Amino acid sequence: MFLDLGTPLRDAANQAIDWLIVTHGTSFDAVSDALLTAFLFIEGPIRALPPWAVLILVAVLAYAASRRIALMLVCTAGMWLIGALGVWDEAMQSLAIVLVSVGVSALLGVPLGVAMAKSPLVSRLISPVLDLMQTIPSFVYLIPVAMLLGLGKVPAILATIIYALPPLVRLTDLGLRLIEKELLEAADAFGATARQRLLSVELPLAVPNILQGINQTTMMALAMVVIASMIGAPGLGKTVLEGLQRADVGKGLIGGLAIVVLAIVLDRITQAFGARRLTNGGDGRS
Amino acid sequence: MLSPISPAQAENCPIDRPIVFAGLDWDSARFHNAVASRLLETGLGCEATEIPGSTIPLTNGLARGDVDVLMEVWRNNLAEAWVKAAERGQVMDIGPNFPDAEQGWYVPRYVVEGPGAPAPDLKSVADLPPYKDLFRDREEPGMGRFYNCIAGWSCEIVNTRKLEAYGLDEHYTNFLPGTAEALAAAVAGAVKRRRPILFYYWSPTWLAGLYDLVKLDEPPYDAAAFAALRDPDAPLLGGVAYANAIVAVGVNSGFAEAAPDIIRLLKNYNTTSQMVSDALGQMRENDLSAEQAADWFLARNPTHWESWVSEPQRARLLAYLTRQ
Repeated sequence: MFLDLGTPLRDAANQAIDWLIVTHGTSFDAVSDALLTAFLFIEGPIRALPPWAVLILVAVLAYAASRRIALMLVCTAGMWLIGALGVWDEAMQSLAIVLVSVGVSALLGVPLGVAMAKSPLVSRLISPVLDLMQTIPSFVYLIPVAMLLGLGKVPAILATIIYALPPLVRLTDLGLRLIEKELLEAADAFGATARQRLLSVELPLAVPNILQGINQTTMMALAMVVIASMIGAPGLGKTVLEGLQRADVGKGLIGGLAIVVLAIVLDRITQAFGARRLTNGGDGRS
Repeated sequence: MLSPISPAQAENCPIDRPIVFAGLDWDSARFHNAVASRLLETGLGCEATEIPGSTIPLTNGLARGDVDVLMEVWRNNLAEAWVKAAERGQVMDIGPNFPDAEQGWYVPRYVVEGPGAPAPDLKSVADLPPYKDLFRDREEPGMGRFYNCIAGWSCEIVNTRKLEAYGLDEHYTNFLPGTAEALAAAVAGAVKRRRPILFYYWSPTWLAGLYDLVKLDEPPYDAAAFAALRDPDAPLLGGVAYANAIVAVGVNSGFAEAAPDIIRLLKNYNTTSQMVSDALGQMRENDLSAEQAADWFLARNPTHWESWVSEPQRARLLAYLTRQ
């Protein structure tokens, strides 16, 4: 009853990977080196900073984002707890991977979201790709990525981006679509070019949604930390993985707890930025 | 797969019920079950079946007699269930299946041999320091990368301590791949591009069968020194090689009394780690089932197993294999 599509598809995929590895290995090395340079640029300072400096930085960021003393104290206490759990260095390694992944996702995701909002065709093409990125089990692409790029931080960042990018694209798209038509008509009436309209009207109005997207992407990047450790990424994920593989429940718990705390801190700070943009939304227009 | 020779045409199986193998949940055990089943089914006219599971429940099953044969009893790593059952005389170790399950530090052969080999003088772990640029770690400039075993396995601790004992920790990063699949992918990716890679691995495995690997020499195994390597808090007594593990065939004692002919065959049964690796490599590369790999192995090594069975049994097996 069924046509055998599985066998040719599997063979084709295996041959395609072999072909990529053998003939384009050098190009992948170049991509890998570029990502690695970007990563070391961010990781260096984060890991060089003494813990007290990181605590102060978190306090300042939390206050700047929320203007609330309580939130500032909670976030700083959370970071202190991570150090007290004895996994500070691992947490900083994970944080570096998450920040680079979110940074690259923002660079890719916002333009993609804009393109989707502007063109129904692009939207129809990209939507299924986003569905695929969100639902395909990570190991399906982790292993080919590991074969192409080796193991370590770069493939971990790529895998994290694949998983964490979609919400940002979707929310950017949504943010642009939700803008009231009257505002756009007003911009057109004032003779704004398409570029002016996008940069001065649409994107500023979509900022709360974009920030929500960044928040979601950050959370998903943190969720990938354990999976990324399966292809050799250092950090909290490795603590959890070692705990699991040695049946050391306590160690797994410490790693898991630190991930949760890091997630709460990052979530509250990014949420607060988004919330303030929403309430102060008038600033940009007045 | 149904045997093309019905038991009636063949000789009568010495036991009038299916022989139950322990279906251990890893590749080499599946392969051995398939080879032994083929010998018993086609050669002796028996029926064979297996109960899937993991080591401890299957060992308990062997002691109770729910399972007749367990093809992989790792003598260096006996389950407590096995030791107790052996003391009570419920199970028996009837001799090695393969005596040379290996662990060690490997490089692909093209790194050390053949035209253009970048490290022709690399023979042992002591030669590694000058080659750190060859095995360079892209993420740690100035260091080589040693792919350790899986994070959380006991070999991870041993390898980490060996790096220190051999004075290699200042030249090589102790890189932990998160999973066995990731380590295999890294090796496969490197071999396909003929890149240098230095890694811990073990056999029998499909990887050791499919790729031509060279194990680096280490000082010979010594029990005291190795015990120190295993214990992260003990003072180091120097690095030594892993001991080769002997993997034996285990049977239920009652079954052994009831079916001496089958025991004779299983006592003769012997393979090597490389033979098993080669068969696992075939399974992987050509997408064979364990049964197909067993037939491939038997067809390829007819002289190796001819003495395990009687002449008529051998003839029947050969006839079957030529039909495949």
